[in-house]
Amino acid sequence: MMKTIPILLAATGALLAQQTVAPTTEQTGSPRGQDTGAYNITDSVEFGYRWSLVNGDPGEYRSDVNYRNGLRVLAAAFSMTSKDGHGRYFDQIVLNTTGLGNDPYQSATLRVEKNGLYRYDMNWRLNDYYNPGLTIAGGLHLLDTVHRLQDHELLLLPQSHYHLRIGYSRNTQDGPALTTAQQFDANGVGLPVFENVQRRWNEYRVGGDIDFAGFKLTLMRRWDFYTETPVYTGLGVVSGPSIGVASDPTVLNTFSRSAPQHGRNPGWMGNLLANHKRWAVNARASYMHGYNDFSLGEMATGISRFGGAANRQILVSGSGDRPYAAGDLTLSLYPTSRLTLVNTTSVNSMRIDGPSSYTEIANGINFGASLYFRYLGVRRVLNSSDADLRLTRWLGVYGGYHYTDRLVTTVEDFSLPAIPDSSTGASYANSNTLRSGTFGIRLRPLKALTANFGGEIGRADNPLTPISGRNYHAIDGRIDYRTRSLRLSAAYKQFYNLNAPVSFTAFSSHSRDYSASASWSPRDWFSLDAAYMKLHLDTMSGINYFAGTGFRPNQESALSYYVSNVHAANLGMRIDIRRRADLYFGYSITKDTGGNRVGFDPNTTLAGAILTAVQAFPLTYQSPLARLSVRITPKLRWNAGYQFYGYNEEFHIFSYDQNFNANTGYTSLLWTF
Amino acid sequence: MRVCPWADRLAPPAAIQLLQGNTMRTSLLLLFAAGAALAQTQGSPPQPGGYAGSNACKTCHANIWMNFYKNPHFKSIASGKESPEHTGCEGCHGPAQSHIAAHGGKNTIPRAFSLMTPDQALETCLGCHAKDLSRANIRHSPHTLNGVACTSCHSIHHSPTPKYLLAKQQNEMCYGCHTQVRAQFSMPHKHRVDEGFMQCTDCHNPHGSFDATWSMGQRPRMMQQAPGTDEPCLKCHIDKRGPFVFEHAPVRVEGCETCHSPHGSMNAKLLRRPVVFTVCLECHTGADDFGTRNNGVPLQTSKHNLLDPKYQKCVTCHVMIHGSNSDPYFLR
Repeated sequence: MMKTIPILLAATGALLAQQTVAPTTEQTGSPRGQDTGAYNITDSVEFGYRWSLVNGDPGEYRSDVNYRNGLRVLAAAFSMTSKDGHGRYFDQIVLNTTGLGNDPYQSATLRVEKNGLYRYDMNWRLNDYYNPGLTIAGGLHLLDTVHRLQDHELLLLPQSHYHLRIGYSRNTQDGPALTTAQQFDANGVGLPVFENVQRRWNEYRVGGDIDFAGFKLTLMRRWDFYTETPVYTGLGVVSGPSIGVASDPTVLNTFSRSAPQHGRNPGWMGNLLANHKRWAVNARASYMHGYNDFSLGEMATGISRFGGAANRQILVSGSGDRPYAAGDLTLSLYPTSRLTLVNTTSVNSMRIDGPSSYTEIANGINFGASLYFRYLGVRRVLNSSDADLRLTRWLGVYGGYHYTDRLVTTVEDFSLPAIPDSSTGASYANSNTLRSGTFGIRLRPLKALTANFGGEIGRADNPLTPISGRNYHAIDGRIDYRTRSLRLSAAYKQFYNLNAPVSFTAFSSHSRDYSASASWSPRDWFSLDAAYMKLHLDTMSGINYFAGTGFRPNQESALSYYVSNVHAANLGMRIDIRRRADLYFGYSITKDTGGNRVGFDPNTTLAGAILTAVQAFPLTYQSPLARLSVRITPKLRWNAGYQFYGYNEEFHIFSYDQNFNANTGYTSLLWTF
Repeated sequence: MRVCPWADRLAPPAAIQLLQGNTMRTSLLLLFAAGAALAQTQGSPPQPGGYAGSNACKTCHANIWMNFYKNPHFKSIASGKESPEHTGCEGCHGPAQSHIAAHGGKNTIPRAFSLMTPDQALETCLGCHAKDLSRANIRHSPHTLNGVACTSCHSIHHSPTPKYLLAKQQNEMCYGCHTQVRAQFSMPHKHRVDEGFMQCTDCHNPHGSFDATWSMGQRPRMMQQAPGTDEPCLKCHIDKRGPFVFEHAPVRVEGCETCHSPHGSMNAKLLRRPVVFTVCLECHTGADDFGTRNNGVPLQTSKHNLLDPKYQKCVTCHVMIHGSNSDPYFLR
């Protein structure tokens, strides 16, 4: 019994989390592993074949799911642990991998440590990322890239009063892409061009921690370097009307663009921390100065929207700077064991500025250079005071008051060096203050029963955008009942923001989330997990736009509604058949029923009809799955699973059917040795 | 150190088998406890403060002890340098002599976590873990305020995860309370958390964090900031980081969630609206004193005829909408 508890915990925990049918979450072999000399070793590997059959839009399938056919190591786990904690070179090695070989989502984590001497952590990940970009550019944008991330962290002397940290991270993105280039003037159409995505980011870190006089001081120095060298090309004839008015005769015959940029962000961070019985202090200061040097060269030839031959060459160069300082100070007082008082002050200052020189040569005419200088400064001061009082063992209350002051300053300078006295410029400042209060109560009337209720109310005087928080309140509540075999939970969350007054209409956003979930494990061979969530969002905002069928469109105003009613449910059931086979059934569905379009204020204009069409976006996305795992020997399991993905839009608002359904599955062997 | 007269004769598996018998379990526990107490008083030098040492515990709690060398807390025993109050079982559960003398029982354990209130559990763990930078803000984190203590998420003796002693796989554990987030990650467009490519802690610090350096107030909460206190989005989306000469101000000032739903969305690109032009038009109204110039977020020019499909897909032309080095209107 004792032996099976960890296995069950592991299997159940993993099962309920699993939204993809593979890798198999059932375990094989003894979790206790095998002793080899002074070490204990556990090792398992799952090797199998994954398949998929897709009907409908393959682009949407690849964007949402992306599992494809092929052999792969679905998962592997290895651990080697010193039994006495005094290994010669290491005390523990833990290696876990998923999806290696062919899966679109692959990862490997490694930890190697020797007690008291070092600890090394590695995390490597790969994402085969595909996005057709239909929503934003009518299908003319596409990314088919591979994103790789890795992090390495070495901590020396982890158990002593002083540590040394060394770290390295790398992030790359490579692959083909489609994008658009606007030609041949500022009113031209965006035409499809090919982009070769090449992004590289490397970060190096070194730092340490020192314990002294009840304080812990952490210092970290870091440098990162970013390089992007995209190359854009367009060969052959690409005509304009593919997206846009049919009368636009723009044609792109040749196109090339190179836009390399090199950035670096050296910085440092310091943190001072002390934690005592009656008080604590936590102070952080960080500074980073980012640089970005760039140039762009572009050449395009073709036919302009006026029907004549056109060519355009653009040259850009410049640099961007971003010094960024941040400081935080948190003081905590514990006058009694039941009362916690915390005050935090944060100050951030970010200044982004830089020149950009833009030269355009169109149809052989050099318009000369245009010099831009832009500055964006953000200074923010925040002070918050929070109190937490534990009245009794079953009752606690908390509350807080928060004040934020933010100043956004901008400078927009422009000049034409070839023309004397052509410099223009302006500076602006936007100041916003937010005062908010929080409150909450937590109850624990029974050991198994907890309830939490909280809320927040905020008032801002000059938010940056019409959709930012101005007059908002939030309410949330949760009730949990937990025993060893049963967990019941229900929650409600509401957020309401009214950004008013504005001149022609107010912006309002109202979200209400309801959820209920249950987990039941009455026996070690059976568990059930179910949840239902309803996420409601309705927004109303006034918009201004231009529309018309004449030569010049007219300015119009209208209300833009958006209603989303997402009903989501998931169900998971696991059955262990005589410790010989495991069956798992799962089902998840997210269904946005949208809103009742009939209830909206009908827009009678042509543009209004376009707005009405996007007031809701009803669709259903569902995924049933089933998995069978059979224990062949104590160290070998055979597994097979099937998962269906169905994506169904009710209204094809992009004038294009993205729907798909996909049958996917796998079979594998899970071997422990 | 020989603690119990029978302990050496019973190989661990045999002891476990005996413990599985319901009829035998209580009496054996009592006998082991009595033996341990006897050995402690007769065979071991008495330790100050009522500490008995972990060897006394393993006699009765063999099932826990058997795999304890794989537990990170075993380091305190292996080092041999820690004081009794920071070593092994008693490092967390407190001095065991009274528990042994009482022949077991939860109520005689000075710090039995199943009997402790969340704040008591927190204080116990922070006894050693308070000085970890990632937990520097734990005392006023929303989790702590809502009674979510260390043991709500961590299982010290029965963790199924290879690191951090989590009680479940990380996303499942977070979904246990944040049910609406589970729904968001089940949507067609989402970050790949359920697929194992990402974890909640890539973006969040469940132990609490300093306030976000973007947006106003304390929202969003418990964010794991990127190097340089940037938004965590920029840890992966490196091309959006800049600095750009022409910044799209709300991206930098209010954050990515101005336009995107970071967990998941029914809309492509994690956008807050199904089509991009409504995302843009809801801000670019030209109305009132919004925007960096205090005279409204700029209204598009009159050439943007909404009836023309070209102008319904804003980023067909404004391709560098997150920020540009070449064009103030983000055209390249």
